[in-house]
Parts: sequence; C-alpha cells; structure tokens
Amino acid sequence: MNIIETNHLTKSYAGFTAVSNVSLHIPKGTVYGFLGPNGAGKSTTMKMFLGLTKPTDGDFLIDGKKYPKDRIEILKEVGSFIEAPSFYGNLTGEENLDIVRRILGLPKSAVDDALELTGLTQWRKRLARKYSLGMKQRLGLASALIGRPPILILDEPTNGLDPVGIHEIRSLIRSLPEKLQCTVLVSSHLLSEIELMADNIGILNHGRLLFEGTLKELKQGAEMKGYDADNLEDTFLAMIEEDNFQRGGAR
Amino acid sequence: MNTILEYKKIKRTGVLPGCLLGGCLAAFVPILELAVRSEQYVGISKPPLQIILQADWQMMAMLNMLLVIVISCMMYHSEYADNAIQRITTLPVREEEIFIGKTILLAGMCIVLLVIEMLSLIFCTLHWFGGADGAFIKDLLQNFGYSFCMLLPVAIISLMAASAWKNMWIPLGIDVVCVFMATMIPVKYFALSIFPFALPFQILEGAKAGKVVSYLIAAAAEVLLIGAAEMIFLKVRRSLA
Repeated sequence: MNIIETNHLTKSYAGFTAVSNVSLHIPKGTVYGFLGPNGAGKSTTMKMFLGLTKPTDGDFLIDGKKYPKDRIEILKEVGSFIEAPSFYGNLTGEENLDIVRRILGLPKSAVDDALELTGLTQWRKRLARKYSLGMKQRLGLASALIGRPPILILDEPTNGLDPVGIHEIRSLIRSLPEKLQCTVLVSSHLLSEIELMADNIGILNHGRLLFEGTLKELKQGAEMKGYDADNLEDTFLAMIEEDNFQRGGAR
Repeated sequence: MNTILEYKKIKRTGVLPGCLLGGCLAAFVPILELAVRSEQYVGISKPPLQIILQADWQMMAMLNMLLVIVISCMMYHSEYADNAIQRITTLPVREEEIFIGKTILLAGMCIVLLVIEMLSLIFCTLHWFGGADGAFIKDLLQNFGYSFCMLLPVAIISLMAASAWKNMWIPLGIDVVCVFMATMIPVKYFALSIFPFALPFQILEGAKAGKVVSYLIAAAAEVLLIGAAEMIFLKVRRSLA
C-alpha cells in the first residue's frame, strides 16, 4: 500500500519546469530515497507535499488525503525538515520544540523524546542561534520527529554533519520505520548515502523521474544497460549523463 | 492559545522591556513638561486632563506609534530571521491564525503602554493640579479607551507591512515615513485625518461627540478593512508560492 502517491506532478516557473510529470509511489512503512543532482527538483517536490509551493499540474495523495482540500489534515500527519534548518534563534532548542509541540497539541514529554532521539538533550538549554551547524541540523530533525508522526519528509538531513553525526542520523533514519512505524521520504544527491538507508529509491534529473524501484531493481537495470552494477554511484552518474545527453547536452 | 504562542516566540527579543521602557518614556513627557513650566498650565480654567493632553498628547502619540511599529517589525523579524516561518507553515496552523495571535498580543502591549501613560497623568494631576476626583478617573479611562481604539489601526497596518517583507527595514522605513506624513496632514479635513497613522493624534477630551463617534467608526472600519486585506494577501501569497 502506498502512503504517498503523485500523479503527473508538475511545477513550472516562468520559462522553467522544476518538476515535470512525476508519478511517485511511496510504500507505507519504508524508507524511500529521493535521489538527484542539485536542482533536480527534489526539494520542490517535497515542498509541494507540504503545501509550501503549489503544483502547476497533477496532484498527489498523502495517506489517502488530497491537496489542497486536506492540507491541514496532511500537515498533522507529516513531520518535515526542508533545506536548511528553520528555528527561532532567540529561543533555546527546548523552547523551539515546545512551540512545535504546542501547535501539534502534543504532551510535554514529546519534547524530551525528540531531544533524546536526536541526541540534543545536553544542549537543550542553549540558544538555537548559538548551535553549531550540526546541532541546528539535529534540531531540525527533532522538530520533524516530535510526536512521532506517521510520515517523515527529510530533505538532505545529513548536510553539515560530521562523519559521526552522519552515521548516527543515517542509523536513526534507517531504524525509524521499525521504531516509530513511520514512512520516511529522504532526499540526497549521494547514492552512496541513500544506498545505506533506503528500501526504495526514486531518481530525479531536471525535474523528470528517471527511475523508481528497489535497489535490487536498479542493479538489475544497470546490468541490462551494461553499467557496472557493483558501483551504483557510477550507475547513477551514467544515468544522469545519459539523460542530460538525450536532453541536448544540458548539465 | 495562539497569543500565548506568540508571546513565547518574542522571548529575548527585547520587545517586552522595550515596550515598558517606551511606555515610561512617553509617560515622562507630561511630567517633564509640567516640571519645567507648570506655571503655564496650572492657572488655566480647563479640566487638568484636557490641559495635559492638549499640551503633550501629540508627542506621546508619536512615541506610542513608533514603539508599536518597532514591536510589530520585531515580531515578524523573529519569524523570518532564521526562517522559522517555513517550519511553522509546514505545521497544521494557518498563517492567518499567526497574524491574529500577533495582533492580539500587540493590542495587549498597547494597553500596557497606555496604562503606564495613564499612571503618569494621574501623578501629574495629583502633583500639579491638586487632586483627582471620581469624575477625573472616569474621564481618564474614557480617554485612554479612545486612544486605544485610535492606536489599533496603526498596530494592525504595521503588522501587515511587517508580514509582507522578510527584510525588517522595509516595513520599518515605510511605517516611519507614514508617521511623519501623518504629522503634516491638516486635521480640518476629516477624510485626511482618518489616515491610520493620523488617528492616534486624536484626543477625546474637548472633542465634539459627533466627531468622536465618526473617528471611532473610522478606526473600526480601518481595523476590519486592513484585517481583511491581510487575509487576502496571505491567501494570494500562498497560492502564488
């Protein structure tokens, strides 16, 4: 069963199409890796799911709810982290999460739970503006995880983290479907990273969906096309190159 | 609920101490005036409240407006500075509710400002005019209720401007220009004197009843119109995103 489904989702700006006819199928209880180079349309797609930007064409369903009619209902079920961390710099990490908790109508313990999950407990009383980039990233993640929502949308959540932090967040994301019974949509421009987290992947380039399926299917496809199936990073780059070539040399 | 949230968001921004200090500064105006040249006022055969307000309210109203403008800009600056607004708009809350919450909070701060100024007028009356009776207190309350109504359109229009720009200096600049423009508006033309930034200069004491009602209706209409315009603006901005 798919918890998120898009149907020919398109977003165009004046003279530029950021997302073109994308039909995604994200199964419930899995980690879905959304892959693509910078500017491929990953963030725009995620923003459409959250109502931050309006689709030009097509539609999508999230847990059976349709945008824009059920926007508020959708947002009640989705924890999100888009692009850079967003927070009130004048408030502490704990106070930032408390604002989100109050809006979501969650018990006070939800703040401690989110801080614990992201390893921010010892810095809870520090002002968010004084956090390091990695800590801000964790605060963004804590804000997405608060209340353990059934759907998580995470846009490049490991940006700015040190190798230990990347490993911790990766392990956390990997464990979420089992731990919190949730579905995770996570984006990255690194296949090597997505490979370690995702059950299913979708590859996007210049707004078009090039591939959707499991890693196994990607490997099989790579073999059939004569790519090196043992090195998925090269496969990914070759797919992007080929698509760019077909599009007329655009990079 | 939303107002409590908005109150929590402005922690450590300096808005609350700023509000209290600004109120004290405006309250100090009549005290200073009477301390320096009380002889010009104590002999006048008018109610003390009318004497003080006619002498000092222009300056006090301007300080009130400038403070309201700065507070409204700071309120939205905390949303935009570290992009908190993006996280908030991905939560099940409407931007319209956020605006209403901020408006109620700002209105509350206007009351705090006016109460501080009211206390100053009580002090001035007791100290320089020899006492305040029940009628004086009633007049004072009516005057400040009226001043509050006149200040509301400024509060809501400056919040609207603050919500429209991420860069705080743009609404701040526009609002300050409007305040100085309002000081140049000839009050004899009613249509011009209901410019939102000109309304707070109005005082109840000594004004004709018909005129007072007209100004109250104008202020209420402006609050409703500006509020409706903000709701439309937020809706259009969302649909164009």
